[in-house]
Amino acid sequence: MSKKRSDYKTTFYSRIENYVNGKDEFLFHKEVKDDTVHELESLEAELTEAADLLEKREEQQRIQDNSEPHDFLKRFHRLYGIIATLVCATLMVLLLITVSWLPRFGEAANPANNVVTKRYIEKGEEETGAVNIVTGLILNYRGFDTMGETHVLFVAASCVMILLLIAEGEEKKSSYAFDRYLEPKNDIIIQKTANFLVPAVFIFGIYVILNGHLSPGGGFSGGSIIGAGLIMYVSAFGFKKTERFFNERIYKIAKVSALCFYICCLSYYFYMGAHGYDNHIPLGTPGNIISSGLILFINIFVGTEVACTMYAFYALFRKGGL
Amino acid sequence: MEWIKFIMAVICMVFAAVMEIIAIYGVYKFKFVMNRMHAAAIGDTLALFLGALGLMLLRSSKWFSYKIIIVVIFLWMTSSISSHVIMRMEYNIDTKKVEEETGGK
Repeated sequence: MSKKRSDYKTTFYSRIENYVNGKDEFLFHKEVKDDTVHELESLEAELTEAADLLEKREEQQRIQDNSEPHDFLKRFHRLYGIIATLVCATLMVLLLITVSWLPRFGEAANPANNVVTKRYIEKGEEETGAVNIVTGLILNYRGFDTMGETHVLFVAASCVMILLLIAEGEEKKSSYAFDRYLEPKNDIIIQKTANFLVPAVFIFGIYVILNGHLSPGGGFSGGSIIGAGLIMYVSAFGFKKTERFFNERIYKIAKVSALCFYICCLSYYFYMGAHGYDNHIPLGTPGNIISSGLILFINIFVGTEVACTMYAFYALFRKGGL
Repeated sequence: MEWIKFIMAVICMVFAAVMEIIAIYGVYKFKFVMNRMHAAAIGDTLALFLGALGLMLLRSSKWFSYKIIIVVIFLWMTSSISSHVIMRMEYNIDTKKVEEETGGK
């Protein structure tokens, strides 16, 4: 006698046996659960909760507005229009006068036509290994400038977080509930399109980043494309599904590590350049994907940074948290 | 042959520009959301298609045409989706009702 399995009753064969012996009427259990009613109820409850919270918030706002009428503020608002017009007019006149003193565009004697431009154009490909001169210029010759730009993005995201991030408590709950108060919650049309478009957008963004040293593009543009794809995914599927692959923890790790690696790459350039050493990283043949030394890696780090910042701005303005 | 292509491309581009102008005029002319959405959709579909067709005729290379076709498909999908979202928002908020209740403010 063979031994019976412990979960024999639930196996396919035992069900067939029961069916054949007439013990069980149905071969299979009903798989589709009828929970649309339940879902609707929960949705309604959520909506009423959200409406209550909205009322509470509006009342608080009204109390705040009525409590302190500022004389100073009223006077300031009256003056504000006049001063703003004056400042704008003076700025315009000043800038127009400056423009009229500029040399004509395209003349050979202009200060823009000097040794630096010539060197970028003639020796750029040879020295940086990047076919796209602009990328070679901003990531290699003027790497310090681009590092500052990337830090500006980091600081901007941090400042928006200081202003808009809601830490905890009742307010967080209410803002999370308001996240899509009037928006369609699970719109099938948007979701089907997002299924189709989001992967294409991601792949295009990755292509633009990886091809930054070969064709127009690079870290900044590719990163913003990926950020736009993330925003589309969020608006189609909501934050719950997005947090499976992009939440606050991953945001922190990706952003900080990208900045650190970026600074490592650039400090190598600065150290070698300042001490007059040769660059030991092989440049490869211009035109290949893996060429031009560290530019490819710097592009990837910049792209991560920009994508994270774009998504963080969207999420912070929408619900006050990542 | 080059000639006819060029003239056809120019006709397409001019029609695209005219359609775009009509779309912009409609967006500023109408007052209600859905009417404006309808007017703006002309610019997103017909004007875009005619402009792309003109570009394809002007530069009659194979790969360039493929790229333009992909761009047109992408924009047709996304613009209809954005119209759909605007429509849903309008349906949920019902601005006309709100305006009647608050007296046009």
